[in-house]
Amino acid sequence: MSEAQVKVHVDKVNKSYGENHVLRDISLDIAENEVVVMIGPSGSGKSTFLRMLNQLETPDNGTIIVDGYDISDKNTDINKVRENIGMVFQNFNLFNNYTVLENIMLAPVELKKLDKVAAEKKARELLETVGLSDKADMPVSSLSGGQKQRIAIARALAMTPDIMLFDEPTSALDPEMVGDVLDVMKNLAESGMTMIIVTHEMGFAKQVADRVVFFESGKIQESGTPDQVFDAPKNERLQEFLSKVTHA
Amino acid sequence: MKKIWIFCVAFLATVTMMMGITKVDAAQPNYIITTDATYPPFDFQDKNNQYTGIDQEILKTIAKREGFTYTLKPMSFNAATQSVTSGQADAVIAGMSITDERKQVFDFGTPYYKSGIAWAVKKGSAIKSLQDLKGKTVAIKTGTAGADYALSIQKKYGFKVTYFSDSDTLYNDVINGNSQATFGDLPVLQYTIKNGTKLKVMNPTNPYEAGWYGFAVKKGDNAQLLASFNKGFAAIKKDGTYQKIVNKYLGAPASEFTGSKSDNSSVFGILKSNENAFMKGLWQTILLTLFGIILASIWGILLGIMGVSQNSVIRGISTTIIYIFRGMPLMVLAFFIYIGLPGVIGTKIPAFTAGVITLILNEGAYTGAFVRGGFKAVDKGQMEAARSLGFTYGKSMYKVIMPQGLKIMVPSFINQFIITLKDTSILSAIGILELTQTGTLIVSRNSQGFRVWAIIAVIYLVVITLLTWFSNWVEKRTRS
Repeated sequence: MSEAQVKVHVDKVNKSYGENHVLRDISLDIAENEVVVMIGPSGSGKSTFLRMLNQLETPDNGTIIVDGYDISDKNTDINKVRENIGMVFQNFNLFNNYTVLENIMLAPVELKKLDKVAAEKKARELLETVGLSDKADMPVSSLSGGQKQRIAIARALAMTPDIMLFDEPTSALDPEMVGDVLDVMKNLAESGMTMIIVTHEMGFAKQVADRVVFFESGKIQESGTPDQVFDAPKNERLQEFLSKVTHA
Repeated sequence: MKKIWIFCVAFLATVTMMMGITKVDAAQPNYIITTDATYPPFDFQDKNNQYTGIDQEILKTIAKREGFTYTLKPMSFNAATQSVTSGQADAVIAGMSITDERKQVFDFGTPYYKSGIAWAVKKGSAIKSLQDLKGKTVAIKTGTAGADYALSIQKKYGFKVTYFSDSDTLYNDVINGNSQATFGDLPVLQYTIKNGTKLKVMNPTNPYEAGWYGFAVKKGDNAQLLASFNKGFAAIKKDGTYQKIVNKYLGAPASEFTGSKSDNSSVFGILKSNENAFMKGLWQTILLTLFGIILASIWGILLGIMGVSQNSVIRGISTTIIYIFRGMPLMVLAFFIYIGLPGVIGTKIPAFTAGVITLILNEGAYTGAFVRGGFKAVDKGQMEAARSLGFTYGKSMYKVIMPQGLKIMVPSFINQFIITLKDTSILSAIGILELTQTGTLIVSRNSQGFRVWAIIAVIYLVVITLLTWFSNWVEKRTRS
């Protein structure tokens, strides 16, 4: 992988909460256009790792370079870097004080100083992409979970990010809503977006991921293509994890 | 929301300008002189809502003769004397007995009236002598010579005491049987009884500890004012004016000062004959409330924002301010600012300003606490989402957290507005002539406690109802 292609470079990162050592010497490189899915049991550190990539969590030590910026360096303007990293949360976190359209327009207008007409045009396009054009002027409280999550994806995309982070985007959804959200994500992956996804949806991971990374006890125990990880797991803990997941 | 703020700021600016214009400098010395608001026949409001009485006429006559002017500040007796010792006022004339203890902090003028302590019971009471007071309760007025005397014989006769800060409430306590007797200055008790208060003086001919009333300034200060008073007093004593004044108040039928019976025996009559006083009192209450609500909200929101700051020092400052001013009774704070502070900082603080500052600090602390709570009640994910898009902490607060938090707080704000309106009544203690103080003054004149307080209570309820309607209207507007 050449220098220019590397979108995320993580080197020997550690993180502890008191006695609890959540991440141990994690190193990982992610290339442009790559879709990386992170799996692992609860508490394995995969969400913490994801949240470090836009500094919602700070590492105790180690280096994190995202999009060419060293975000482990205190002098880096993290707000500028974040404008190019979209994030989608488990609980959607749509802004309750704005309508659907306003949620999508807020950041482009306030941060990119896009004029309102252009911002609205773009927001409506994004709404069409996620299949929710008819919800533009609704308050967010009137939406279902699946709709909220698709709006949240549209909100992140409105900033035309280089990288998208997904933190268990379907875990808080009713089963019948999951498909719609995953479809949006699949389309996004096909369009060439660099994506890092924490999820428990193994089927989705198999289908979409370029690479699957298995976290356990704060370490990357194994990583590889979906075929390698799911069909020929080498790591004992991964085998154990997969057998539990598939039996569930 | 923005329109409301613009309205508030414009209102405050207008009122402040109006108040600033009224101050005009005079070439003559102008003194601030305090008095007891309810101490007939020496100090009270007559039926035209003018302060009058033996003290007031003496003072007025002397001021005219000697060529000085003064601004009269009626308040409770205690506040009146403390205002002078703290330098808030220049002198006090309030039927104040000259005692050795008081001589240590005041310089007295020529004694102007000989008085003494009498005790009184409810008309028809079974109590005949001081011995009968054993185990009974005696009502006394805080800081008066009558109170000192009662305390000095308390052990000997074995009674309990209960304190009041205004005379009228005290008399009613005795009449209603909560307490069985009171000690006070003989002429005051006699005047009150003549005015229809159902008490009986037990020692009309031989008052205890006969002593003199004096006009007083802070020890070592205002020598010129004291000299003017003494000079003028000598003159009016010599030419008979003094005796005329005393006779006028002790000889005249009470109705001359307190209004006719028909003015006082019905709610309508009381309303009509005191229309001006009620309106003025209400206006002061409304002004205090509006200043209090607007400024305390601004201060409270600021405290609330500081309380959720990323900087732990700023958070600490907010917590400390809220802790101090929420933990302090409003009246203590009012006294501290009005009476305590001027002695230290060396400038006078007008009562209204002191009252507004008190409201800002006290109501602002409560507001700060619920504003901080409201911001914290907004889901943490909202902040994370805003930050993840690239918003700074401040912009996230402003664009996402604060609008949601303020919406949560609307009911708390309305509640706080109503509390502020009611709390303004406590500011009567520092002599602000708002609605409650107005009631006290009218009752001290006409002794119609039930009717006057019923009127005052209804006025408060009406204003609170209007305030609640207005708040609900604002709430609906912010919802949509």
